Amino acid sequence: MGEFKVHRVRFFDYMPSAIRAMAFNSRTERLALSRADGALEVFNFADSYFQEKVIPGQDGRAVEALCWVRGRLFSAGLNGEITEYDLENLRPKYTMEAYGGPVWTICSNSQGTHLAIGCEDGTVKIFEVLEETIRFQRNLDRQKGRIISLSWHPSGALIAAGMMDMIKVFNAESGHATHRLLVERGVGASKSREVVVWSVAFLSDHTIISGDSAGKVQVWDGVTGTLVRTHLVTKWDVLALSVSRDESSLLAGTSEGTVVQFQFISSTVDQHDKEWVRTRTFKNHTHDVRALAHTDTAVVSGGMDTQLVVRPLLEKVEKNTQESALRKIAFPHRSLVSCGKKAGMLLFQFHGHLELWRLGESDGHGKPGDSLPVKRKPEKLIQLKRKGDDHICCSALSPCGGWLAYSTISSVRLYRLQYNGSNISITKVAKLPKVLRSAHQLCFSSDSSKLFASTTHSSVIIIALSQSECKYLHTLRPKSGTRQPVHLMSASEDGKWLATANSDCEIHVYSLHKLKLHCTVPVYSSCPTAMAIHPTTSNLVMVHADQQIFEYSLVQKEYTEWSRKLQKQGLHHLWLARDTPITHLTFNPRNPAHIIMHDTYMFCIIDQNLPLPDQKTLFYNQMTLRSLPEPERTSHSHSFKICKTFQHLLCVSLLEDHSLVVVERPLLDIASQLPAPVRQKKFAT
Amino acid sequence: MQHNNNISGVPLFFHRRRCCSVFLFPALNQSRRRLMTSPAPKPAAAESFGSPLDSSDDEAPEEVTFQASKASALQSLKRALDTARREKELLKEKRRRRQELFQEQKVEFPVSWLVVSLKGNYTVQTVKERALASSQQQVALDFLQSRLYGPGSCRTTSNELLSLQNKRGRKKSAAVQFVNKGWGEFSNM
Repeated sequence: MGEFKVHRVRFFDYMPSAIRAMAFNSRTERLALSRADGALEVFNFADSYFQEKVIPGQDGRAVEALCWVRGRLFSAGLNGEITEYDLENLRPKYTMEAYGGPVWTICSNSQGTHLAIGCEDGTVKIFEVLEETIRFQRNLDRQKGRIISLSWHPSGALIAAGMMDMIKVFNAESGHATHRLLVERGVGASKSREVVVWSVAFLSDHTIISGDSAGKVQVWDGVTGTLVRTHLVTKWDVLALSVSRDESSLLAGTSEGTVVQFQFISSTVDQHDKEWVRTRTFKNHTHDVRALAHTDTAVVSGGMDTQLVVRPLLEKVEKNTQESALRKIAFPHRSLVSCGKKAGMLLFQFHGHLELWRLGESDGHGKPGDSLPVKRKPEKLIQLKRKGDDHICCSALSPCGGWLAYSTISSVRLYRLQYNGSNISITKVAKLPKVLRSAHQLCFSSDSSKLFASTTHSSVIIIALSQSECKYLHTLRPKSGTRQPVHLMSASEDGKWLATANSDCEIHVYSLHKLKLHCTVPVYSSCPTAMAIHPTTSNLVMVHADQQIFEYSLVQKEYTEWSRKLQKQGLHHLWLARDTPITHLTFNPRNPAHIIMHDTYMFCIIDQNLPLPDQKTLFYNQMTLRSLPEPERTSHSHSFKICKTFQHLLCVSLLEDHSLVVVERPLLDIASQLPAPVRQKKFAT
Repeated sequence: MQHNNNISGVPLFFHRRRCCSVFLFPALNQSRRRLMTSPAPKPAAAESFGSPLDSSDDEAPEEVTFQASKASALQSLKRALDTARREKELLKEKRRRRQELFQEQKVEFPVSWLVVSLKGNYTVQTVKERALASSQQQVALDFLQSRLYGPGSCRTTSNELLSLQNKRGRKKSAAVQFVNKGWGEFSNM
């Protein structure tokens, strides 16, 4: 595996934001989720739950609810606005003031023609969904008190609205309330507190199901307006409900962090009439579950503990397969760290600011496993606050540490850094070319003479950097006519190539000498999650969301021999069973056969000279190899060398002085900074 | 609530006594009942009200024309209605002022108060900074905050939760704040 001096970095205080709302589009199998900081993320459930798109948040935009209308995504929030998103350019398309105060909820009818929103001022407002925009149609009868939750009957004729102490049923045509269902308050001290109906679901058989702050899931008959059944599921709040598409199963998320499943079945074998029966309880969260989605095969939940959890329903998937495993998504599927390899600097991206650190130094020598004394401590050089309300969507540090760039959805900013060992100065580059308005990805060439910025329709703008000026050089465009954004970009060490990957799974390689498209890698069904161009062989190595690895020769324009061999033999099942994507890939200049890559739980060095492991080989064999005498080791070793010493990795990179940088963010550190969980009595404590 | 009503009821009553006549009795009682939510009118006061009229029983009643009596009756009815309306308005005004006071308290109250009540050193994320443009949004956020983290929500701290996990877990260890979160061992590298 080789020996490395390792910089173990734990000063990136990355703190993910709480999950606030979710919406699942079963047609495209995309899950949209919103976070407390206003950011939006789209996960592709058909492609190993890959986080395909991220739309950065904005100060003051608190997304309270999300809704898909066919392929279009809408959100509503407490700032009183409805927003539609442009999923191709990763930005809000337009926002519309609803004029009803803060908006608590948004939902569409099953036909996808209208949107209903529930406002703080007690109105339910109906908007018509048009081709390019939405248009206010009318208000339903105004009520006293806020509308917290809404659900549209599948026929589109009725709307149920959850409020304080009650549920109202409206006729969507006339706008009049037809039923008023009074929800009982909690017992004891909470008797004096109004009960909040956090969530309602209107089923096609006119059953209304409600979840409220008294911890009840109640089943109502929507025709007569009577209570059918009350299930007390928690002492705290039931915050979210989600019904499966076939309306046979229902999920309720609680403040305790549990998700309770109800199923529509007959309670005894001989009975024929079905009822809602509480069947299972899942406990995968430590904090409040604020958002839920019921897909055809899984329970998807998220909340204050910031993790997205996908729990497959075991009767719906094949047992003991990749599909049936529980997934927790804690970190973003893209890199928030960029490394100045030559300067020994790290740039950390937060949504509101950037931090530039210089790594520490040590002159000690030790045997493997020792921690070396630090001669010079790591030092925070710059904390750069972003300008404006928009959050940072991408950032980059040049390898020499002399340039820094970041982008929001409204502007790109470039800074010149001068560091002489003790003093640092930062100057903003005043005149950037006008074409550079915003970027999805930023990347510097290895000699820091060019800045690449990807923009609309997967095109890349090239800017030449020099001390005196910044000049627009060229725009590279793919020939495929794709409209999707670029999510990965990588320039080769020798300055010849630039590779981009977009959400259509296309990988384009441009020749930087000729300034034109060199080739397009054959499209693979899964999205690439990391890629890099080998500094000497000019082979492009790609890792995909389904954990497959490919190597493509840019010179011959075909897959390499090694790649074919790997595909033929197949990857080891333990490699395929990992549940976090490879997010960064780099090479070892001293040993051209080594590829270094990492996911959240491990980093791996692939030695292309060694034999590939077959299915029967012991895959995680580092410990075994160490116990063997030297001559026997070679016969037992295989090309995948995996290290799990460092956990919850955000970045692994190799510096020019051949030392390794690992940026860790232990999940425990994140957990200890979360807001208050509920106090539960545990036996014998 | 009841207590309040009685206090405001007393001066109103004196006022009524001065301006009434026989014809007014039913109307007055009715308006009084409508006005006051407290169900029991004071019987003692009602009796004392009737007594001066009774003393002139032995004389023959004065002759009053129908028109005159009707006019005076209508007038007093009108006066009584006016009084009732005014009282209603006063009450309304008073309620409104109280409501405003509550609302003000609600706006100022939760944030500063919550900081005190939550234990531990962490930030709660649902409440944004005060700089939020709209006060409406702030009220909505405060509502959310008070429902989820306010009094009666029975919360603990993340620290305690994690410590409890350490105590009860399969691998026992000390409370989180005492666990050494250092760099760990490299021996398995």
